Amino acid sequence: MVSEPRTKASAALGNWLDDYSAPAGVGDLYRDAPEPVRQRWRAIASGLAAISDNDPSALQDLAARHIAELGLTFRVTGEDEERAWPLTPIPVTIGATEWEGIEKGLIQRARLLEELAADIYGPQRLVNEGHLPAAVIAGSAYFARKMLGRGPESGHFIHVYAADLARGPQGGWRVLKDRVRLATGIGYALENRLAMVRSTDTLPSDNHVRRKAEFYARLREGIAADCTREQPRIALLTPGRFNQTYAEQAHLARYLGLPLVEGRDLSVLEDKLYVGTIAGPKRIDALWRWVNTNALDPLSFDARSQLGVANLFDAWVAGGLEVVNWPGVEVLESPAFSAFLPRLCSFLLGERPLLPTVATWWCGQAAEAATVQRRLGELALLPAFDEPVEMLPSAAPVAGRSFEGEARAALVEAIGRRPMDYCGQEIVHLSTTPTVVDGRVVARPFTVRVFVARGADGTWSVMPGGFARISMSDDLPTSLIGEGDVSADVWVVDEEAPASPPPGLLTQEPPITRGTGILASQAADNLYWFGRYNERAELTVRIVRSILGSSMEVDSGFAQKGDAKRALGDLLVMWGAITPDTAKRPYPVLCGKALSEDTLPGGVTTLLRRRMDVGLGLRERFSRDFWRIVSRPTDVVEIHLPQNLLSRAKRLTEHFSALAGLVSENMVRGPAWCFLGIGKRIERALGTCRIVAQLIEQDGGFDALGTLLDLCDSQIIYRARYLTGPMRNPAIDLVVLDPSNPRSLAFQLCALVEELAALPTIREDGLPEEPLRQARTLSAALEEVRAASVDGAFLHSIEQRLLALSEEISGRYFLQFERDEAIGRSLLG
Amino acid sequence: MRYAVSHLTTVTYAEAIRMAQFAVRLRPAHWPGQSVTDYVFSVEPQPATIVEGEGGYYINEYKFELRDPIGQLSVESRFHVDRQPLSEDVTGASGPKLAELRELAMTRPDLSPLSPASYIFASTIARPEREIAEWAGQFLSDATPVVEAGSRLMGAIHSEFAYDGDATHPDTSPLEAFEKRRGVCQDFAHVMIVAARAHGIPAGYVSGYLRTLPPPGRERLVGADAMHAWACLWCGDELGWIGFDPTNDMLADVDHIFIGMGRDYSDVAPIDGRFRGSAEQSMYFSVDVAPLD
Repeated sequence: MVSEPRTKASAALGNWLDDYSAPAGVGDLYRDAPEPVRQRWRAIASGLAAISDNDPSALQDLAARHIAELGLTFRVTGEDEERAWPLTPIPVTIGATEWEGIEKGLIQRARLLEELAADIYGPQRLVNEGHLPAAVIAGSAYFARKMLGRGPESGHFIHVYAADLARGPQGGWRVLKDRVRLATGIGYALENRLAMVRSTDTLPSDNHVRRKAEFYARLREGIAADCTREQPRIALLTPGRFNQTYAEQAHLARYLGLPLVEGRDLSVLEDKLYVGTIAGPKRIDALWRWVNTNALDPLSFDARSQLGVANLFDAWVAGGLEVVNWPGVEVLESPAFSAFLPRLCSFLLGERPLLPTVATWWCGQAAEAATVQRRLGELALLPAFDEPVEMLPSAAPVAGRSFEGEARAALVEAIGRRPMDYCGQEIVHLSTTPTVVDGRVVARPFTVRVFVARGADGTWSVMPGGFARISMSDDLPTSLIGEGDVSADVWVVDEEAPASPPPGLLTQEPPITRGTGILASQAADNLYWFGRYNERAELTVRIVRSILGSSMEVDSGFAQKGDAKRALGDLLVMWGAITPDTAKRPYPVLCGKALSEDTLPGGVTTLLRRRMDVGLGLRERFSRDFWRIVSRPTDVVEIHLPQNLLSRAKRLTEHFSALAGLVSENMVRGPAWCFLGIGKRIERALGTCRIVAQLIEQDGGFDALGTLLDLCDSQIIYRARYLTGPMRNPAIDLVVLDPSNPRSLAFQLCALVEELAALPTIREDGLPEEPLRQARTLSAALEEVRAASVDGAFLHSIEQRLLALSEEISGRYFLQFERDEAIGRSLLG
Repeated sequence: MRYAVSHLTTVTYAEAIRMAQFAVRLRPAHWPGQSVTDYVFSVEPQPATIVEGEGGYYINEYKFELRDPIGQLSVESRFHVDRQPLSEDVTGASGPKLAELRELAMTRPDLSPLSPASYIFASTIARPEREIAEWAGQFLSDATPVVEAGSRLMGAIHSEFAYDGDATHPDTSPLEAFEKRRGVCQDFAHVMIVAARAHGIPAGYVSGYLRTLPPPGRERLVGADAMHAWACLWCGDELGWIGFDPTNDMLADVDHIFIGMGRDYSDVAPIDGRFRGSAEQSMYFSVDVAPLD
């Protein structure tokens, strides 16, 4: 089939929406909008058409490219690889008047949730007076009994609140779910906007789209305002790099300038919280936790959790540590709770709810259970407390009518035994919004996640926008679409442009600073190993290139002789890049193996994976460009053709050069830069010792010395200095002892001394820290010797001292891991 | 019946550990029919701080911290206890029927550490298991009185399960123990809790001691006793909590000394700790429950 060429004539602006048709009766965000908002929609659509040459697929590609450039990913539980964040390019556009209703409703709801938390963990009037069954609280896995009577000093249980909203066919909005545990999506809402602004340039401002940036600033100021110290240190507590939304947390931390910490970075001493840094422990004033209450403190809550900090509980109880949101507030977000919200709103606030909650019946009450049993066919069923229960293996709502025959009987029986585990919920029909599917603009159902935060004055504000989730299928336009397939930015549009340009984030100019913030010991450890793995992988690639005889065409003769090649093969075996058996195979096979090896510790693929593993924990410290290069997938293929191998090795070399360039040109000279450098220097020094020792053992071989110069990138300088071919002592002087050669051992040691000296000291006696002292001694040892006395034994002793130095650095600057005491049931009968 | 109880735990670490923080849950909480006197708790070496408080559920908790490196830790808990036999009000009672009990548990306006609502839902270790629910279903119906229900479950576990210290380990899930039909008191108590909750009975995990009798004709061995665990079921407003010991197929009575109750083992674990250093360690413990009468 031949597709018709697209005619430019049909590219009239706004035509995407001219052809757009939404199914009747569902209520569509564009079709049924008031005229001024429809005009905005059309202006936005024509703007999008203009930048994509009127091709919706091209627009989709554009958005995807910006997402990739932002390095935005997410992880599906159980998968190793991260996936690209799915952003669809047509924003969900909402008029200011409609948005105002949502805003008021959400602020009322945030006030209500705050009051509820204060009562549940305070006087418990609601339970004692019979307004709320005790089981609705006790049923939540997040009910923290230990928090009873232990409210925050600031009086603010909630700082950040998120809600999932559904828009019905009549345009009415309803809350599907409240989220006070994790504001998941608050970072993606920011990134979606960033990607959209990058793709569409001035389109948002031309259409009076409200900015989101002020919201994040208010959120941060709100947390800071509740801290007791003047210049508080606020950290974002992450469950770690294998968490589903780690990428989001890392982006958020970087955007807000908050240190990203894990439980193992932290410790509590005398009821104060500290982060272990290379400059000693530093006090933390507030934690924005992305960790459940149960996992926050293994000695107060779940003892098996590795995510928290022992005695963190004591720190927040003693005061002086703000936790956002306050531990235990999660109890408010269960479906069973939402069944009571409408009544509680009237009771606690004396107001009617402005934003209705999706109708919910909790079966823990006899009358409600009877209703649910009777209307099973038309309702959705879901676990009352977000935890799997019999017949409902996940927290997501399931249509009651999908249970038939035996399954239905089993469900009814289970509800009979444990009614308190189940809720029935109305199935909400969703209105649609224009989106791109298969290169066409069509109507699809959507839900919106919105965010509310408390500012410095304690009042609430709503992020203008949030993010939308759009279902890619149109089979089931109801609230049961669940997770949705793709996300979209949400644009709240004003009719008039704002009178003055929006104010900057902070009204007060901050004091000038040149600090780079704290460097947690854990992060320093990761930086150090990132540097080492990176250098080790680069060295292995160098050896492979040398075996293939490639680094300079004219010198290709250098490494051609068998002895030197065998020596290099042995080196690869020694480094764990290949097995001794592989070393006996033909050189192309051997080289291909070294590059693709992903199980032996020294294989290039293994090293790059390890580098990625530690790199994931550093994501918020690297620039986006740097991260994009690091995470660019490496093709793991078995290559045997020498010319293919060569080009692969060359591409890898370029990869390392690109990273080195970014580090040297774009990275601020601070402790983080030092640790990357220290790792690299130690590794290069170790590698040089081993290479030299290996190659000078070859008796007087011309080839061996040539290869040595080749591996150390020192042929040209050698030739500039000496008229002869490579000879032992001049070659050794150049690659081992000459501190002006950036590839020499002496140069690495001088650099180590400089970098170690630049690190903060925690000694009060003014003496150098031990690692620095050792590095200086080592550097001095090299200054003393002459090339003739450099032999295998000497190099071996240097190598041992380098390893000892590495240990010393690790003992001084990095963490020794906390481990769990396992006292088992051997106590029990 | 009066007893002198002493419980000594000594942990030796392969390498010195530092910044050690522990929570120890061995001091008996108040319990009907049991009065504790002369309680002594001691830790060696002397901790930097030691704080007595309450755990999340019905359990006492000592938290202490040792900042200097230590190679060995000893924790001792000793007390006298006077244990009254169960009254006939309890032994002869049957309690409300299950359908009624559920309703009572759901409507009682009570969130205290002994409230039925706090023990009716799934917990960290005692997850809902359909297999266990169905198994329990053969012994129970909505019309079964709760004490009868508890006795049947306890009896069924006792007769169908083999006591086997090697079959399970401390982290074995209730389902695994159930499938093996083997385990120790901790497993049996967990299976009983999952089974009872599946039918809407509030059920708690009790940590305690059991007086053991020497084999006929032998002397009682000092220090050879062990900690014990059983299940408590909430049997309505009037009867309150009654202990069912599935390991021994008997109600918790004069031989059972109560330390505390939680939703499962994790709420009442005798010792939890965190420290810096190598986790390699060896542990020695001795429990002695000596009758004084």
